Amino acid sequence: MRRLLLSGTTAVATFGVGGAAYAQTTSAGTVISNQANATYTVNGTPASVQSNLSTFVVDRKVNVTVAADPNTNTIVNLGQSNAVMAFRVTNNTNGTQDMLLTTSQILGAGGTGTDNYDVGNVRIYVDSNTNGQWDAQDQLVTYLDEMLPDASALVFVVADVPNTTSANYASVSLNAQVAIGGATGTAGQALVATDLNLLNQNADQDIVFADADTDGLLGYDAARNGQARAYLQYEVGARTANLSITKTSAVVTDNVNLIAPKAIPGATVQYCLTIQNSSLLVPANGITLTDVIPTNTTYVPGSIRIGGLGTGGVCILGGFAANDDGSAVPLSPYGGSFNATTKTVTASIPTLLGSTSMAVSFQVTIN
Amino acid sequence: MRLHIIAAAAAVAAISATAAYAAGPLSLVSEVKTEKRVAAADGTTRIALVKADKIVPGDRVVFVLTYRNTGTQPIANLVLANPVPANIAYRAANPGSAAPELSVDGKTFGPLSGLRVATAAGTSRAAVPDDVTTVRWRLASPVAAGAQGQLAFQAVIK
Repeated sequence: MRRLLLSGTTAVATFGVGGAAYAQTTSAGTVISNQANATYTVNGTPASVQSNLSTFVVDRKVNVTVAADPNTNTIVNLGQSNAVMAFRVTNNTNGTQDMLLTTSQILGAGGTGTDNYDVGNVRIYVDSNTNGQWDAQDQLVTYLDEMLPDASALVFVVADVPNTTSANYASVSLNAQVAIGGATGTAGQALVATDLNLLNQNADQDIVFADADTDGLLGYDAARNGQARAYLQYEVGARTANLSITKTSAVVTDNVNLIAPKAIPGATVQYCLTIQNSSLLVPANGITLTDVIPTNTTYVPGSIRIGGLGTGGVCILGGFAANDDGSAVPLSPYGGSFNATTKTVTASIPTLLGSTSMAVSFQVTIN
Repeated sequence: MRLHIIAAAAAVAAISATAAYAAGPLSLVSEVKTEKRVAAADGTTRIALVKADKIVPGDRVVFVLTYRNTGTQPIANLVLANPVPANIAYRAANPGSAAPELSVDGKTFGPLSGLRVATAAGTSRAAVPDDVTTVRWRLASPVAAGAQGQLAFQAVIK
């Protein structure tokens, strides 16, 4: 005879010997039925019996994670449009869910890093073509639609950096809230956890929030709220670029000597200004170059050339011709002008990329 | 032989479970319980087994089998079998319950250490708790009239 009575309260010691983490979990709503059977003999006569069918419903275990991917600051330049940061949103719920996405620029006590300016025009894109890059094919979204259990998506936060700020760090967080899935193309309502104090029937499919607190006790996110949040920063990179200018002159023609022209009155002299940005990867923007022509020389009209190839003070290629009156030249990003009153040659270069150089040249004649 | 009888009884159970297990001299009741931490009067926390209401993947449940001899004659050769339901992974015998015999194929029973599972490569490997498909207890001594007992095993929801 057996007296293996199981008391109502029993100190259960260790559970889960050889327990494994299940990546593919039982879907919410699955009915699990158990039925035992017994065979026995009474006075040598065999008999058998089935137990009752005991069933319960697997509830919805709501879990979501948002992670910076990669977890590195996005280096930006002032005035930069469409600066991109990337997050990975993963649905760890045992059901298909929508994920409502929002961004915040409030760092909060739980955020990491510093936050001392705000970016503008913040948008959220999903990596529709799953190439890991933000591009034209990616879709502007406010939620992720119909995420299967264990599915993850790369989400891009895209923003514009202000033109002027003395601060260096803008922190942006992406929040994902688990919502009801099931309707393709529409954002579901955010899930609400089943009240623990309500009497639940086995037939009910309860909603249990099982997500972790992603940003500490003082942060905006909390454990078991059906949401997850991750932070990244836009960091203004180097604020100075190391620019240098080399100026050389060469006599082009003196109307006397065909070879080796001399600097005599009437000779034409070309000045070559080579501007070098020796900062690696830091573009210099809005460069304006001015040069007053020497006394006893006369500017040769229409001789300004901008954007040519030049290095070490020698102009190798001419570049774009600029109009003396400062008007724009088609297809050329550059601007040039000559002010006859101040005898100043001006060249404007919108952007000079890091570790590159560019030449500006003009000509004068010796009086 | 006995398998036919079990199959017939199963059909009856599906229609009217209560009647099926109350008919014979042996009553067999299956329950699914889960652990719940409850504060006791003395301030300590005890773990109570409660009806499985709020169960999510990864949760641990206890399958409890209660048998009772409702007849007047002793019941001998009692064998209680519990196929492990789908989406459930066997873990261990519940403390206080006799250790069951296990099977990964429903035919060969024994301790887990003696069971092997065929692999896709054509070889076999040692069985792990996740492989268990049936749990079985064989009672060595007869169950007297009016006597009862409880057997239980622990499992997790996949």
